[in-house]
Amino acid sequence: MSEGLNYTFLIDTFFIALSGVPITLLVTIVALLIALPLGFLLALTRINQVPVLNWFSRIYVSFVRGTPIIIQIFIVYASVPLILSLFFEKYNININVYNINPIWYAFIVFSFSTTAILIEVFRSALSTVNKGQLEAAQSVGLSNFQAYRRIVIPQALVVALPNICTATVNLIKATSLGYAMSLQEITLKAKVAANVGYNYVEAYIDIFLVYIILCSLVEYGFKIYEKRLRRYKYVSA
Amino acid sequence: MLKINDIHKSFGNNEILKGVDLSIDKGDVVVILGPSGSGKTTLLRCINFLEKADSGQAGFGDLKVNLHGASKRDIHTIRQKTAFVFQNYNLFNNKTALENVTEGLIVGRRVPKADAIGIGKKALDKVGLSDKYDSYPSQLSGGQQQRVGIARAVALNPDIILFDEPTSALDPELVGEVLTVMKNIAKEGTTMLVVTHEMSFAKDVANRVIFMDGGVVVEEGSPHDIFVSPKEERTKKFLKRVLPEDYTFYI
Amino acid sequence: MEKYFDVSYIWSSLPILLPFLKVTFMVAGLSIIFGTFLGLILAVMKLGKNKIAQKTAHFYTTILRCTPSIVLLFLVYYGVPALADNFGLYLHDLNTAVFVVITFTLQFAAIMSEVIRSAFDSIEKGQFEAAVSVGLSPFQAYRRIIFPQALVVALPNFGNGLIALLQEGSLAYTIGLIDIVGKANLIIAANYNTHALEIFIALAIVYWVISILIEKFFGKLEKVFSKGKQTINTN
Repeated sequence: MSEGLNYTFLIDTFFIALSGVPITLLVTIVALLIALPLGFLLALTRINQVPVLNWFSRIYVSFVRGTPIIIQIFIVYASVPLILSLFFEKYNININVYNINPIWYAFIVFSFSTTAILIEVFRSALSTVNKGQLEAAQSVGLSNFQAYRRIVIPQALVVALPNICTATVNLIKATSLGYAMSLQEITLKAKVAANVGYNYVEAYIDIFLVYIILCSLVEYGFKIYEKRLRRYKYVSA
Repeated sequence: MLKINDIHKSFGNNEILKGVDLSIDKGDVVVILGPSGSGKTTLLRCINFLEKADSGQAGFGDLKVNLHGASKRDIHTIRQKTAFVFQNYNLFNNKTALENVTEGLIVGRRVPKADAIGIGKKALDKVGLSDKYDSYPSQLSGGQQQRVGIARAVALNPDIILFDEPTSALDPELVGEVLTVMKNIAKEGTTMLVVTHEMSFAKDVANRVIFMDGGVVVEEGSPHDIFVSPKEERTKKFLKRVLPEDYTFYI
Repeated sequence: MEKYFDVSYIWSSLPILLPFLKVTFMVAGLSIIFGTFLGLILAVMKLGKNKIAQKTAHFYTTILRCTPSIVLLFLVYYGVPALADNFGLYLHDLNTAVFVVITFTLQFAAIMSEVIRSAFDSIEKGQFEAAVSVGLSPFQAYRRIIFPQALVVALPNFGNGLIALLQEGSLAYTIGLIDIVGKANLIIAANYNTHALEIFIALAIVYWVISILIEKFFGKLEKVFSKGKQTINTN
């Protein structure tokens, strides 16, 4: 190891790590597509104090925020096959649960945790929009749904955007734990490549670089989108 | 007592003060008028070193300092001789009304705590807040907060109090109580330099009025000189705009 | 292989797991101490006037914010000894806890520098101006007026930072630290991978309870410190 970095390996593995990006992005996007609407709906149950759902959301959020994602992954990865195999046995479905592509587990875990994070993001964003906005919208004859869609949500979105960005970056980072489910994403791919010649330092430098590039791009994208939303806000004001 | 010579200050390419001179004697109540952006507030802030002037001298009795390159010790000395009342009060949010008033005495001037509390209570009594010693700023109205701000300045017994638009952040119905307090302390002979838009205060209380525009002093004189027979065209224009058509002065 | 879920495993594993919280807390505690100190330095750089220092500190925070904990952990675990080789230092046998502490110190410093910076930025400039205008020295103004107010702003974020640190710390088992998660994995291995779910649930309960306790504690603390934040009492 004292002979310094293996630069050929460093460069080759960079592209191997890069080849994991599509899986990372796929998991991220699917998780967001599920978590954004679900998180928003559950946030509404918190704001409007819907009896049972309100309590459910609170406990759900508290659990996700109170436990490490790796342990959530362990639990899902250990419990879902158990439940599924019971289910399959009962109905005589001939699927081996251990042949399921790990990406499905990844979808479940990361949607599960991101939804909880977004409940809080939307809850605090919605509570910053003045109650008078909703009342004013209703007073001019908009339905509750219309009032939310046209007046409240656009305003809440501007407030929520930076936090959605943080949640997205954290989600991308969290997918690096997909190794625990043998998910073929950035970290696992580069690590496997390093196993051959013990070039771990190089491999982790590559992984590190890929995440920095990926997250910087995401942050940059959000910043541009936020600017557009805000500009619209000023122009129309 | 306070002499300012040829003070210059720019923010970027924007020259705010273009050589202002000012002289104030003990017991003076000087009001600075002028349109917004004329440099009034910047002048005040430079005197207290809240902004660093680009050049200029200040004389405080025997003490002469360069407004650009004053030493820390000189800055400290001048701040001890002056007090500042801010447009948005700037009360210490983590201190009660009484603690706001005593903070400078106890920590800045090492006045014994018991004495400071006595002085502080007296100052708050003077501004009509005897029942608010233990209230935090968040529990006070804007007018009450500014009165604490004035008490905080008065308690220091400074050579001069600088007022930076003390009523412009207040709701109209709260302006009166603050102006009344200011009138009272003026009557006691406190030296005051006041930036304000309250013409009635300038007219009734000031013994000298300065009109500033575009970073220079355009005209100065007694309230009568300025309001009744202004000489400069810019002064006349400004007064015409801010005073109602049939406004007359009885001085 | 026995497949059924057995709740009793959750309760019976807790007494075995809990003693290993000591390791978890020790590693977290050291990271908090060093991380807060480094975070303070970074915050001073960010708040100061030196442009290069500002840029450096912001760059550091951005990089750390973009790096998954597990990647940082392995980068430190493999990288630090390799780097030390160049200086003739042999660090490959160093206790894994040291690498864990280094990793989370680096990470917590990034979090803390933002907590401190945003707390100070949230205090209006007028508070400082008012303090020096009544004759306090700049140092006194910071100590007596700015700092107490910034502390109140920083407290809940500091609490959240602690919870985050504790949770990210759960990854330390990946480089072989026998903390509570490491012990859990040992128990599971000893059970030939059966009843893993129950053990993981026990782990989740432990973390959940700790997080709630930290949250509650900081909520209380915030109330104690937030002088001057009360709303108007009408009596």
